[in-house]
Amino acid sequence: MPNETIHEEIESWLAADVHDQLSNDERAAFQSHLAGCPACRALQEEEKKMNELLERTLAKEAADPAFEERMLSRFRDKVPASSGGLGSFFAGLTRLRAAQITAVAALLLTLVQVGKIVTGESGNYPRQQKTFASSFRPQAAQAADEERTIVTGSNIPTAEEAPANPAPAFRRELNSKSNEPRPDTSAMSANAIDELKKDLDDKSKVAGMPLKAPQESDRPTDAGALGGTKPATVPAAPPVTPADNRKLIRNAQLDLQVTNYDAALQRLTALAAEEHGFIATQNSAKLPNGKLQGTIVIKVLPENLDRFLQKARGLGELKNQTLGTDDVTKAYFDTDARLRNAKRMEERLLDMLKQNTGKVSDLLQVEKELARVREQIEQMQGELKYYDALVQYATVTVTLAEKDLNEPAAFLLKETANLSLFSADVEKTFGEVKSALQNAKTQIVQSTLDRDNSGQATARMTLLIAPEESDAVIARIKSMGRVQNYNLQTERIAQNGSGMSDTAKVERDKVQLNLVISRTGEEQAVQQTSLRIVTSAVTDKVAQLKTALSQAGGELRSSTFSRNPDGQEVANITLRVPMKNYAGLIESFDKLGEVKDLSVQRNDQPSTTANPETAPADVNLQIYSPGKIVSDESGIVSTIRRTLGQGVAALAWSVRMIGVALAFLAPWGLALGLVSWLVVRFAKRRG
Amino acid sequence: MDSSEHDLYRAAIHGDREAFEMIIRTQSRALFAVAYGILQNREEAEDVVQDTLVKAWKTRWRVRDPEKFPAWLSTIARHRARDLARRHRSVPFPLESEEPIDPANEEAATLLREKEMGDEVRNALATLPELHRAALTLRYFETMDYATIERTLGLTNGALRGILGRAMETMRKRLRPTLATLE
Repeated sequence: MPNETIHEEIESWLAADVHDQLSNDERAAFQSHLAGCPACRALQEEEKKMNELLERTLAKEAADPAFEERMLSRFRDKVPASSGGLGSFFAGLTRLRAAQITAVAALLLTLVQVGKIVTGESGNYPRQQKTFASSFRPQAAQAADEERTIVTGSNIPTAEEAPANPAPAFRRELNSKSNEPRPDTSAMSANAIDELKKDLDDKSKVAGMPLKAPQESDRPTDAGALGGTKPATVPAAPPVTPADNRKLIRNAQLDLQVTNYDAALQRLTALAAEEHGFIATQNSAKLPNGKLQGTIVIKVLPENLDRFLQKARGLGELKNQTLGTDDVTKAYFDTDARLRNAKRMEERLLDMLKQNTGKVSDLLQVEKELARVREQIEQMQGELKYYDALVQYATVTVTLAEKDLNEPAAFLLKETANLSLFSADVEKTFGEVKSALQNAKTQIVQSTLDRDNSGQATARMTLLIAPEESDAVIARIKSMGRVQNYNLQTERIAQNGSGMSDTAKVERDKVQLNLVISRTGEEQAVQQTSLRIVTSAVTDKVAQLKTALSQAGGELRSSTFSRNPDGQEVANITLRVPMKNYAGLIESFDKLGEVKDLSVQRNDQPSTTANPETAPADVNLQIYSPGKIVSDESGIVSTIRRTLGQGVAALAWSVRMIGVALAFLAPWGLALGLVSWLVVRFAKRRG
Repeated sequence: MDSSEHDLYRAAIHGDREAFEMIIRTQSRALFAVAYGILQNREEAEDVVQDTLVKAWKTRWRVRDPEKFPAWLSTIARHRARDLARRHRSVPFPLESEEPIDPANEEAATLLREKEMGDEVRNALATLPELHRAALTLRYFETMDYATIERTLGLTNGALRGILGRAMETMRKRLRPTLATLE
């Protein structure tokens, strides 16, 4: 928990601290914050005083010991067992069921339930009532006679009931005296109250105890009173110190590193005997590297625990230590109180059996109840015994481990080699490698031979070679082709442990060789040249170049040819030649045409194992013709031809247009002509 | 909550009267503390607890989850107490002093001082929010651990620390003069 968080939330930490609700870790963090923060320390002082004041004033307002019984009897008066119970029980049942099942099913089931309840409950109620009457009423009557009324009255023990803590109890007596006496509290006889008060007075004077004991002493004393060791009416007994009555389970854990396990175990046994303890369990295991490791559980008397731990730490190097205390005081005395109640109940039930007055069914009920109570008693007794056993001895768990526990037992050297071979004839080399390996202590794990669409073959093999022969075998394979790449990885694997060890054996595992034989040199060119050649006849020159290339032992890797609309021809060629023929080839380019833009880039790689003679050189080459200045389409002849063609086309267009116009006008002309002819004819006939 | 407690609550919800009476024995002190926190009056708080128990018995079927039974009880008690406080808290609770105390009597003087401090504490308590009061009284009446208080008040895990922290802070601030007189 970071310090700032504590500081910001200091109030809740303070409260939890005074109320003893911090866990061990939290308390440590809180204390360390207080150590460095005077402001919070001041607040803590105030908080403690506040706590004390509240305990002095508020705590005595708590319900009096007879409170529960009073509540119970009033409840019984107000809600008689026979009435209301059945109705609301039925209502409750139907409600619960109705929520869970479908409507029809609910109806049916409820009817069944009603039937069950009516038949079952009607027989039960009177009997139940009788049980209450006989089991609880005598308790009240009995209690009135006893001096221990205050303790008997309550089931839940609280600080309030501790008569050893005189002030609140005394005040309470005054209070209850100042109020008019309740009829319900008749369980407390006036006698008992007076006696108690007298005792308390005596005690506060005689023992000279402060009005309010410190907080810590509350619980134990209260517990003591409840535990039955000190009856409530004997407060004159010496005050109980916290250590006496607390039920603390102490346990510790030690992690030790020792040089010798057996010696340490012997000494540990001796130490345990010195402190009146004993070894409860012991187990050890031997690891592959010969080291011993074990866990020992030791029981010592709680008061000797610290001394024992101090001594045990001397056995070796302390790696880890935890010390814990489990306070079971409350649980213990709760159980104890319940146990005594149960026993009292048992006695009463036995009395009822002895009186033997009721009906057989009542007796059976009592028997049943008795069996239940006895089972509870046994269970609680077992619980107490268990606590006792845990409290009696502190448990120390010691883990002993010899030094260098994780030292490896052995190392394994694992070598992996990757080899790429260049071979002009992959199949042949592949066969050679296979036959070469037949005699050697070698295992071919995997081998494949692939051929792609362009006829390129690639062989892949994975081999396991016996370590003593690996160097010879790898050297032989290397000689079968041109080595393009070779690397060897060595891995050192620790077995059953980690770290360094001087004594561990080193073993060589089989060497794994991943071999690739291929024709396409993945090899990078040593030299890259790019140039342009201008020539008028591109196609011819390309053919010449190809011949020169094959003479030089080179390889054409790619070639493209294109012609532009303006008649320019471009060929892009990539080729690869061995370095020894490079110079000759470049010279031959001069014959092809004018060489332009020559650039050379050389990558010298010291790591390449390639022979400088055979190492490849790449050439990117562009052969092109100069484009025509005037293209075919823009020449004179073509221009005239085009112009004439356009003129003819225009003429033809106008003729077509005239035709169209005639086609439009003709019908009108015909119509007009016809009309005028008719007019003329009519006029002639008249005339 | 352990399984026996769980079974007890479930039995009570299903109408087992004996189980309910057992719950009265175990829970009524806590209910008293809750009611007192709100009312600061023992008689009234006791009546509230009584009413609460009767009401709880009659409406117990409303609780679906037995885990929440204690929280449900304390909610009823809080509502009842609040109603009662609202009804007649307009009349301030008189601080009656019964018999005159002889200052010469040392024991009586101490008692007087105790009584005054008790009144101051109660007055300071009355100014706190209701939930804070209930948390304080549960803690100081019954010395309950935080987990139990949270269960009783139906708080979620860890909320109580903050509540009690603030409650204690407010109380400290109000009672600072009184605290200063304590050695």
